[in-house]
Amino acid sequence: MSEASTPALVFKGLEKEFKLGLGLTRVHAVRGVDLEVQPGEIFGYLGPNGAGKTTSMKMAMGLIQPTAGSIRVLGGDIADPAIRRRIGYLPEHPFFYDYLTAFEILDFYGQLYELPRKARRKRIDSLLELVGLAHARDRTLRRFSKGMLQRVGIAQALIADPDLVILDEPLSGLDPMGRREVRNIIVSLREQGKTVFFSTHILNDIETICDRVAMIVEGQVVRVGPLAEMLRSESMGVEIVAHEVADGTRERLESLGAGLEVVGLATRIRLAGEHQATALQALMEGGASVTHVNPHRVSLEELFVREAAEAGGADG
Amino acid sequence: MADIVSTVRIGAVARNTFREALRNRAFMGLVAFSIAFILLSLALSEMAVVGQEARVVQSFGFFAISLAGAITAVVMGALLVYKEIERKTIYTIVSKPIHRHEFIIGKLFGLIGILIVQVAILGIVWAMVTSIQGGDVGAEHLKGIALIVLEVSLVACVAVMFSAFSSPVLTGLFSLGVFATGRLIPLIEEMLSANRGLFVENAFARFVGEAAVTVLPDLSVFNVSQQVLLGVPVHLSYMGEAIVYALAYGLVFLVIAIWAFERRDFI
Repeated sequence: MSEASTPALVFKGLEKEFKLGLGLTRVHAVRGVDLEVQPGEIFGYLGPNGAGKTTSMKMAMGLIQPTAGSIRVLGGDIADPAIRRRIGYLPEHPFFYDYLTAFEILDFYGQLYELPRKARRKRIDSLLELVGLAHARDRTLRRFSKGMLQRVGIAQALIADPDLVILDEPLSGLDPMGRREVRNIIVSLREQGKTVFFSTHILNDIETICDRVAMIVEGQVVRVGPLAEMLRSESMGVEIVAHEVADGTRERLESLGAGLEVVGLATRIRLAGEHQATALQALMEGGASVTHVNPHRVSLEELFVREAAEAGGADG
Repeated sequence: MADIVSTVRIGAVARNTFREALRNRAFMGLVAFSIAFILLSLALSEMAVVGQEARVVQSFGFFAISLAGAITAVVMGALLVYKEIERKTIYTIVSKPIHRHEFIIGKLFGLIGILIVQVAILGIVWAMVTSIQGGDVGAEHLKGIALIVLEVSLVACVAVMFSAFSSPVLTGLFSLGVFATGRLIPLIEEMLSANRGLFVENAFARFVGEAAVTVLPDLSVFNVSQQVLLGVPVHLSYMGEAIVYALAYGLVFLVIAIWAFERRDFI
C-alpha cells in the first residue's frame, strides 16, 4: 500500500478497561472502536464528556495501553519514535513547565525532535506568529491565560511540521476570535496535505471544518461518515410558523405527529414532510395565519442528542 | 544506537530538569539552609578542645554536606517523575520521539547536575570556614567531597527508582531508609558477626539484617572524613573502586526505574 493510500490512523476493535481502587471496580471507557482516518482529511471525533474520546486519543499516542484491539498510526506502531516524529499531539487542557517562557518551552520540544538549532528558532518564531503569541515570546508561561496556553499547545503540536496532527479539544478555552483562528489553522493544515484528527464536544467546530466525523457515545462509535451524508440520510422535515392556532387545530396537528412549540405569539410546528399539505389545510380551516413554511434539516446537534439518548436508554 | 539513546534528547531533558531546580525557590532555600548548617560548625568549634577547632569544622562539614545532598536527592528525586505525571506535563513529552528510558536518564542526569552544584557550593563554604579556623584544605579533602557527590548521586538513583512506581511520600521514606541503612552497613555487619545481640537472638531481625547487607549499597564506602582528618591519603585506586561501585549500583537502580516507567499508563 502506498504512503498516500495508507490510512493515517486505524483503530481495530479498540478497548480500554480501567481498574479502579483495588481492581474491584472496572470502568469500560472504550468498547470495540473501529475507525479509519484517511490521509489529508480533517476528521472530527465527536462525543459528550466521558464518551471515551480522550482515552482513545491517549491510546493512539501510546500514553495508555489498550486492553484489547490494535492501533496503526501512519502505517506503523506508535511505540516507534520514527512514527512519533511525524505526529503532533495536543492533549486536553495542556500543561507545561510554567517556569519557562513560550520560546523556551517550544525550544525544549524542538530539541526532543532533534531539530537543528537554527531551523528550530526559525520554526518557533513562525509558529508563535501563527498562533498569535509573538508578543509574549519571552514571557513565562505562569503569566499566560488559559487561551494563551492552548495556543502554546497548538504550537508545540506543530513544531516538527507533522504529517498527522491529533488534537484533543483544540478549541477549548479560546474566545470566539481564538476559535476562528484555530479553525483556520486546522483548515490550512489540510491545505498543506496534513491529516487532522480532532475531538470536540462543541458541534459548531465539527460542522464548519470536518470532512468526516465519528460519533462516540459511552465508549462506542455509533456513527461514522461524511457529515453532509450523515445529515442527509436523516429524513427531511418541515417547519411551519403560524399565529392564532386554535386548540382543535393543535389536536389535529398532534395527531399527525407534529411537535408544537409556542414562541411568543407564534407557534412553531415541526412535522414530517409528507404531512405538510394536511397540516397546512388544518391550519387554514382552523383560522390560523401561516407566516413561514421552511424545509427542516436534522441538525448535528439533534442527531447527537438523539444518539446519546438512545445509547443511554439502551444502557439503562 | 543513536535512535535508542540520543544525547540530544537526554541532554534536553537533563538541562530542563537542571533549569527547573535552579528556578525553584525550595531548592535555593535548601541550599541556604545547608550553608547555615555548615556555619553552625563555627559555633560548635567554640566548644572544642583548644587547637581542635578546625577538626570539628572539618568533621561536621563533611557530615553536613553529605546529609544536605542526600535530603536534596531524596526530596527532588521523589518528586521528579511524580510531578510530571501529576501536572500532566508528561503528555506532551512522551508523545514526542523520545524513548521513555531517555526521559528517565535525562531526569536523573539533571538531578545529579543539581547535586553537583549543591555539593560544590557547600564544599566552597566548608573550605572557607575551615580556613577561618586555621585548617588546611588539600587534595584529600577534594577527594572526600568527590566521594560525597558519588554517594548523593547514588541516593538520587534510589529515589528515582522508587518514584517510578510509588508515591512521593513512600519514595521519600524508602529512599531515606536506604540512605540511613546504607550508612550503617559496617555496623550491621559487625552485629551479624557478633556472638550475641539482636541479630543472634531474633531470627527475623537477622534475616532483615542479612538482606540489607546483601542488597543495599554500603554508603560508608563514600565516607572518608575520618581518614582525611587523620591525614591518611585516599588513593586513586580507592577512588576508582568507589566510582565502579557507585556506577554498578546506580545502573541496577536505573534499570529498575526504567522497567517500571516503561509499563506505566498516563491516565
